[in-house]
Amino acid sequence: MENFASLLHGFGVALTTYHVALMVVGVLLGILVGVLPGLGAPNGVSLLLPLTFTMDPVSAIILLTSMYWGALFGGSTTSILFNIPGEPSSVATTFDGYPMAKQGNAAEALTLAFLSAGFGALVGVILITVLSGWVAKFALRFSSPEYFAVYFLAFASFVGLGGTSPFKTVVSMGLGFAFAAVGMDTVSGGLRLTFGLNELLSGISFLIAVIGLFGIGELMLTMEEGLRFDGIRARVRLRDVVRTIGTMPRYWVALLRSSVIGCWMGITPGGPTAASFMSYGLAKRLSRRKEAFGKGEPEGVVAPETADHAAGSSAILPMLALGVPGSATAAVMMGGLMIWGLNPGPMLFIERPDFVWGLIASMYLGNMVAVLVVLTTIPLFASILRIPFAIIGPIIVIVCFIGAYTVAGRSFDLWLALAFGLAGYLFKKLDYPIAPLVLAMVLGDKAEDAFRQSMIMSKGSLSIFWSNGLVATLISLGLVLAFWPLLSMVLARLTRPKTTSATA
Amino acid sequence: MISRFQAEIATALMTAGLGLTAVAGALEFGVGWGDAGPDAGAFPFYIGLLIIAASIGTLFQAATGRQALQSVFLDREQAKRLGAFFIPILFFVPTALLLGLYVATALYLTFVMWMQGGYRLIVSAASGLAAAVIFYIVLEIAFQVPLLKGPLEAALGIY
Repeated sequence: MENFASLLHGFGVALTTYHVALMVVGVLLGILVGVLPGLGAPNGVSLLLPLTFTMDPVSAIILLTSMYWGALFGGSTTSILFNIPGEPSSVATTFDGYPMAKQGNAAEALTLAFLSAGFGALVGVILITVLSGWVAKFALRFSSPEYFAVYFLAFASFVGLGGTSPFKTVVSMGLGFAFAAVGMDTVSGGLRLTFGLNELLSGISFLIAVIGLFGIGELMLTMEEGLRFDGIRARVRLRDVVRTIGTMPRYWVALLRSSVIGCWMGITPGGPTAASFMSYGLAKRLSRRKEAFGKGEPEGVVAPETADHAAGSSAILPMLALGVPGSATAAVMMGGLMIWGLNPGPMLFIERPDFVWGLIASMYLGNMVAVLVVLTTIPLFASILRIPFAIIGPIIVIVCFIGAYTVAGRSFDLWLALAFGLAGYLFKKLDYPIAPLVLAMVLGDKAEDAFRQSMIMSKGSLSIFWSNGLVATLISLGLVLAFWPLLSMVLARLTRPKTTSATA
Repeated sequence: MISRFQAEIATALMTAGLGLTAVAGALEFGVGWGDAGPDAGAFPFYIGLLIIAASIGTLFQAATGRQALQSVFLDREQAKRLGAFFIPILFFVPTALLLGLYVATALYLTFVMWMQGGYRLIVSAASGLAAAVIFYIVLEIAFQVPLLKGPLEAALGIY
């Protein structure tokens, strides 16, 4: 009930004309970046972040989170109408969404996607409302070793649950930590890894990395594939919306199951992309109409969309309560909090309850605003993609570089963004995961501080990570996850007799 | 034509090189135990080692799975499209540093629309100029964020 009172107070903070107007602006900008190829939620938020430095933190986070919701919706739109996922997390929506649109059910597919996305987001926010205060209170007991253990667990789960080559995940993560280490050492205050370059004295901003890796890298990939938009024209009429709402209860099993998957993947750093694929896969496997999947089965739209948004919103929970973001976009937002002088984690709930609960309340409102805005403006945004790419492409490039410059007003950042763009292109093509790199860049200093302080506490003995039940559990779980790829290989060898090794 | 195998090897060597750079850079600052706990270089040092080890792992995986990696990474057609997109950007950055972001924006958009979009020069130039003006209004006036400016802005008296 304590949470409920705080939430009501939060609504008081969020429900002002100014904040609701910010939500609408944020959602519109979000849909725009979600629809445009090469601009997604993480770098949309990165590009907008420097413009919010002068704003009040509550207003700024409302603008940024609303942009996040909008981007998630925009990504689904292009998946359905153009068969081009605007966001990696809406790839699974193309499987059934595009066939549905091709069969003339575009309006139904879009409405279904938006409504189930709204449902998923709502479940995620309710989860945050119920759990965040409790998690934060629990985390108040944490000291440096526990914090390091939580960070370790977050990164280990990338390795263990990532699905790509564990080596590549480690490389990506390690590079993130290495980039984060450049510049000032937060413990001793000295400079390091600058290699005599004045440009590196103030470090490498994670925002530049996100703009390059996600923005320019993604665009290069899109260009190389030769962009072709064979869009389907759609108008969403009120009649279609009402009819589709009537069909929603039919999918209650899929909605609930996908919400659970989404929330779980959002809280653990699995992220929205993994959540949507997993949810789609499960829906297909458990459905009685397996063969209809991939040919325009409505449930194939409901399942990934619900999970995607449930993960997207619940990724805010660990960011707020523990200071460990659950997705790349949440990582960028957390970096923003730190730039505004807020310290994400349990203390935030005590020091800035107006901020925390204002944000949580704005997530309810923002998602409702997003569903309404997206339903009314989709034809407009879909028409943006009919502008020839010779115009849109360079404008996106320009926006990325302007965004890179506005981060700190440094010319060197333009070169850095270009280098990160090339790296992003290579990494994406070779299946290196990028989210661990961004997370490591944002968390690098905090993780290192936690580790070094633990070492100081224990006078250099690693046994401090097994000094009490909590930290031992976290670290052991992390170790299991980190070595999971190896463990599962060994287990597979042991359970299968030698004869299979010849065929494998 | 570049095969996936070549791309894998080249990228892994590059990441290993970055790891090595981190290790070399960290060694300057001490990687052991100092007066105030672990030295400033310790964390980057071990991270660098980890990157090198994982890069070697990737190299090893690529070498053992070479048969499966003979697929095409980049063919001639793709390389052409990629070059057409990337080379103008490569010119955009130094232009921006020399002449400011607004002038570079106008020139870059004009060039791409004219050369690659097949628009007439006058239409392209007008669009480029319009884009620069819109960016100026949004950033400098609405958000009061100053961008990099060059000699043209100085001559016009805009700061």
